[in-house]
Amino acid sequence: MNYHWDWAVFFKSTGIGDEIYLDWFVAGLGWTVAVALVAWCIALALGAVLGVMRTLPNKALSGVATAYVELFRNVPLLVQLFVWYFLVPDLLPERAQVWFKQELNPTTSAYLSVVACLAFFTAARVCEQVRTGIQALPRGQTMAAMAMGFSLPQVYRHVLLPQAFRIIIPPLTSEFLNIFKNSSVASLIGLMELLAQTKQTAEFSANLFEAFTLATLIYFVLNMSLMKGMGWLEKRVAVPGLIGSGGK
Amino acid sequence: MIRFNSVHKWFKDLHVLNDINLEVKAGEVVVVCGPSGSGKSTLIRTVNQLETISQGEIWVDGVNVADPKTDLNALRAEVGFVFQHFNLYPHLSVLDNITLSPIQVKGMDKAAAEARAVQLLEKVGLAHKKDAFPAQLSGGQQQRVAIARGLAMDPRVMLFDEPTSALDPEMIGEVLKVMKDLALSGMTMMVVTHEMGFAREVADRVVFIDHGQVLESAAPAEFFSAPRTERAQQFLRQVLTPMR
Amino acid sequence: MRFHQKLIASAVVGGLLVTPAFAEGTLDKIKKTGTITLGHRDSSIPFSYLANSPQPIGYSVDIANKVVDKLKKDLNMPNLQVKYNLVTSQTRIPLVQNGTVDLECGSTTNNLERQRQVDFSVGIFEIGTRLLTKKTSGVKDFPDLKGKNVVTTAGTTSERLLKSMNAEQGLGMNVISAKDHGESFLMLETGRAVAFMMDDVLLAGEMAKAKRPADWVVTGKPQSFEIYGCMMRKGDPAFKKTVDDAIRALYKSGEINKIYAKWFQSPVPPKNVNLNFPMSPEFKKLIQNPTDKSAEQM
Repeated sequence: MNYHWDWAVFFKSTGIGDEIYLDWFVAGLGWTVAVALVAWCIALALGAVLGVMRTLPNKALSGVATAYVELFRNVPLLVQLFVWYFLVPDLLPERAQVWFKQELNPTTSAYLSVVACLAFFTAARVCEQVRTGIQALPRGQTMAAMAMGFSLPQVYRHVLLPQAFRIIIPPLTSEFLNIFKNSSVASLIGLMELLAQTKQTAEFSANLFEAFTLATLIYFVLNMSLMKGMGWLEKRVAVPGLIGSGGK
Repeated sequence: MIRFNSVHKWFKDLHVLNDINLEVKAGEVVVVCGPSGSGKSTLIRTVNQLETISQGEIWVDGVNVADPKTDLNALRAEVGFVFQHFNLYPHLSVLDNITLSPIQVKGMDKAAAEARAVQLLEKVGLAHKKDAFPAQLSGGQQQRVAIARGLAMDPRVMLFDEPTSALDPEMIGEVLKVMKDLALSGMTMMVVTHEMGFAREVADRVVFIDHGQVLESAAPAEFFSAPRTERAQQFLRQVLTPMR
Repeated sequence: MRFHQKLIASAVVGGLLVTPAFAEGTLDKIKKTGTITLGHRDSSIPFSYLANSPQPIGYSVDIANKVVDKLKKDLNMPNLQVKYNLVTSQTRIPLVQNGTVDLECGSTTNNLERQRQVDFSVGIFEIGTRLLTKKTSGVKDFPDLKGKNVVTTAGTTSERLLKSMNAEQGLGMNVISAKDHGESFLMLETGRAVAFMMDDVLLAGEMAKAKRPADWVVTGKPQSFEIYGCMMRKGDPAFKKTVDDAIRALYKSGEINKIYAKWFQSPVPPKNVNLNFPMSPEFKKLIQNPTDKSAEQM
């Protein structure tokens, strides 16, 4: 194939100010991380609450959580993003609409929409992990804690959740990686994260393979470090003596 | 200390507890025995309302536990409960297993709770294991920790639900010894068990139940030598000569 | 060096792209296989798009078919088969390079970066980058955009120009990069941006599709001119000459005016809207003096 390879392309001028293409990748990575991390924190907190709700004896609360999961898990992510970005702002009061659409920096409004979208989408998935984690625990744990005079919130806080979260670290790790990959939907509403910057570099430089190779490499290194980090966390909180807990 | 007044419990069509009338006085040790499925585990769990009842009253230290207005958490804090499967919290060290409730429920100071926990561990012979985790202990050791955990709340009464049934035979003795010491110290105890040796030696009274009914309630000497009902006689024949 | 690069290339793309031998030129290949593969787009209205049939239609497709007619005659192959291969803005260059597509006529701007990868035919269209805005917005030209939200489509020259204007003239615009022209127009319509900068012909297309075309106006001095060309593999002068000659012939005979009127000044499928986009003076000049250079080289 008579492709013109040029690995030095990343150090060439983009033609905009004195930026080089590598600057775009750095900026893109920054947005990817900023989107994924913030959305993850919200997803984790919301998902934990919903997961607990699904295991509660109260039918109304568990029903609400179930409905949430069904809704957010079954609507494609892209559709959700367009709802958050184009539809939700239109439901705001007039004044807030003007603020969100015109006064707010468009990058900020795109950022808020993406974070909300990913956080609510991923929360549904985290919820299911938390629920299975709690349900995997022997009933005796709840009984023992109740017998010691714990209220239901205390049972969850001190006995069920610490154990459930240890069990679900591996599936949570994959959700964590997913949120980084899913953050690339941001490019569709104009947030210049890593994938958007890659496409732009490919388009402007006509060195498509170099651009996508670098992006692949960055995503790979990013995912590997996240996995390593989660592996370290899993080891750190491992319970001594338990099989499969990674610790001694 | 504990009084059952005409207690009934139905589970769907099944009459699990049928007109239970029973009293455990302060300082008394009562062993509850009966064939499996007789309702004895259900019975002991109604005392701290891990199982609800359908009808009747259960009074624990002057409080009707079946009354919806009763603060169950406060009641349970006063009633120690030891499970067949220990149910220690696997993610906490032995010490934390024991101090968790005193600190969280009673608002006890951490240092005081730990000092008390060490004291209790000495009592059950496991002070050297305070930093171990449950999965690193044998079944007998876990059950002794579970007893210490129950005692840490300074309960008025201790309930034991088949505390030795899940243990290997060589570990049963160490647990029974701890229970015996506890009985001698004057603790009010209600014990569901098949350990007839323990019943004979330690119990003030033996209660035999079957099909949810109390069939016998007598001093051990009387119960073992002259059981009045046919079913109790049959039960005793089976548990005392298991090999036949 | 070349060997190393090939190694890297195969490692990188994981064998996705087979490397055919190009000892022979495209003309030989066409003779041998009896087939030519044309690259087309799915929604570059009215240049190259899919409407009601599986076959692509559009201005650029018509031009490509004229090239095919010439090939039939030159090669004496009346039964030359035409295969259509869909490309996107990301796949069009590699698919030409690796031999999947022989000729891509769509809406591809001829620029220096791309000239390093492929050869371009003489220009088939020329656009200017301008603004689409609401008639009531008060925006007349680019300086009016200072501090405003402006939308453009990601990966286009307009995006680069807008960002450069910000960097060089300190206009302080907020540039929104939408994923495609439709979304750019949606941003404009929903009030997220006051203006949409893009190739004037594409702006005319979006305007024609709008619910009330009369509400909108294309305005502003063109910030750049771009020449669209057909792409083919680099270093194949015989094939390039055939393509160029076919296009030049259209210009010389005036047949181009008929094709132009059909796509830019008459209702076109699928919605039968009329772009009402008369030929610009720049394109008229290009027809007088056809060139395969990019606009920046002129």
